[in-house]
Amino acid sequence: MLAARVSTAQRLARSFATVADSAGLKVAAVDRNQPTSAVTILVKAGSRFESKPGVANALKNFAFKSTAKRSALGTVRESELYGGVLSASLGREHLALTAEFLRGDEQFFVDVLSSFLTSAKYTRHEFEEYVTPLIESDAASLAADPATYALEVAHAVAFRSGLGASLFGPSHSSITAEDIKSYAKSAFTKGNIAVLGSGIDQSVLAQLVEKSLGSTPASAAASTSASSYFGGENRVEAHGGPQTVFIGFGATGAPSAELAALAAHISPQASIKWSQGISPIASSVPHGTSVQSVYLPYSDATLVGLLVQGATSADVKQAGKAAVEVLKKAAAGISAEELKKAVAKAKFSAASALESRDGLMSVLGSQVLAGAPSTLEASLAPFDKISASAFTKAAAALVKGKPTYVAVGDVTSLPYADELGL
Amino acid sequence: MVGPLSISFASYLKPSRTLSRWIKPIANWYADASGYRKYGFKYDDLRAFTQPVLRSQSIDQSFMKIVVEERPDVQRALERLTPREKYDRAFRLKRASQASVLHAPLPKEQWTKPEEDNRYLQPHVVEVMKEDAERQMWDTAKVKRS
Repeated sequence: MLAARVSTAQRLARSFATVADSAGLKVAAVDRNQPTSAVTILVKAGSRFESKPGVANALKNFAFKSTAKRSALGTVRESELYGGVLSASLGREHLALTAEFLRGDEQFFVDVLSSFLTSAKYTRHEFEEYVTPLIESDAASLAADPATYALEVAHAVAFRSGLGASLFGPSHSSITAEDIKSYAKSAFTKGNIAVLGSGIDQSVLAQLVEKSLGSTPASAAASTSASSYFGGENRVEAHGGPQTVFIGFGATGAPSAELAALAAHISPQASIKWSQGISPIASSVPHGTSVQSVYLPYSDATLVGLLVQGATSADVKQAGKAAVEVLKKAAAGISAEELKKAVAKAKFSAASALESRDGLMSVLGSQVLAGAPSTLEASLAPFDKISASAFTKAAAALVKGKPTYVAVGDVTSLPYADELGL
Repeated sequence: MVGPLSISFASYLKPSRTLSRWIKPIANWYADASGYRKYGFKYDDLRAFTQPVLRSQSIDQSFMKIVVEERPDVQRALERLTPREKYDRAFRLKRASQASVLHAPLPKEQWTKPEEDNRYLQPHVVEVMKEDAERQMWDTAKVKRS
């Protein structure tokens, strides 16, 4: 029994990130003996790199349309016959094209993914017939979700350009199929691509990738100017959804474990559903109002804050006041037990993210693209090193900056930043 | 032949140099003599507009149901024209209608020149036909997994 355990632990440590350079492409694979495999092609083509507002979103929606190898319909029908699922998702830094499939079908699905990168046609009629409705439905889903909308506005206020670029297209865009084609051409180069596999053998994946993506043009990785944090206030009129307020602070530089712990400390979410957590915010929030802590780490900046949602502006104001108070108090220093609790919470959420396929791909992917994949232990080690003084220092520096404040909903009655004590 | 495109032997004639050398002058003469260029039309305007009317005189009534423009595939092809092509096409149709009202061809400087008479619609129709054929292929495919 013990021997078996030791061998799994070794296996995990070994297989967490076996990264190889295959024909100039970074290929990483993790095999945990799952019954299914997944391959993700991660491209540095997130919204921060986009050439025109909404192009990154449009490129995401263009995924799996016709290529030189097969038509859009052929891709749909054939992958259905194999029983696989294809998906594309866009982040501020990366565009991820994912195929999940049964073991053994990797040849077909790697081909589907790579043919989009190498030979997509970006035809005008497909843009008009299939892609524009998807862009519009993305924009409609944004308009219907005040929480996401508040975070979009918060990014724009906090970082302005770069990370401030929206993940969604503007409501009236002038994007053409040609714009998307030239953006894709500049993004799909060797330095920008990482191929990540889970439930697939590293050497098999590397071989397939080399064959199908080996001819991708080599050029330097995409770069943008380093993010800087500005902060500010914005109020947006919205109807139908809950009253929403985002209170946040930003920091530049690589994300630190201290800020993750701060986000975990202020999070009022209880460990058991329908119970009240022991967080100081939880007790002072009116019934029916939700407060979520937001921790969004990027390669060179972090946004930490609280998202308050409630039925009426008065409730939101009360909850927001409590949230700001706790945030300020945390910046002044917290007790040793509270720190221990916060670190445990933050470490657990980081570790459990690595368990899931999506979480692993996003953590591993950015590390692989940055060229420094770490081990499981190394990615969790910073949490053990958090000291009370480092925590206080990081929190104080964060809160000293200009706050990012966004109100979405009934702007006539929602509180202003200074009314909450910011 | 039940399709949006009229019967054409061009694909058989073009590869043969001798045949196309013989046929081409006749074809050019025929296109000019058929008179649509005098009304400012292009050949692809006709195929989707006037030709079905001519057809109905010679071909039996069941053919009338699939008049060329009133087919979903050709409608989709028309949607795929660029805004400029759509505008120009509508302009040519209107101008020709007006000429028809006046019972006279257009002034000579407005006639379509042979080099302007390009197949702007046909590639889109072919594309749509291919897509439909592929859809039918997938709808009726028999899957064998080895």
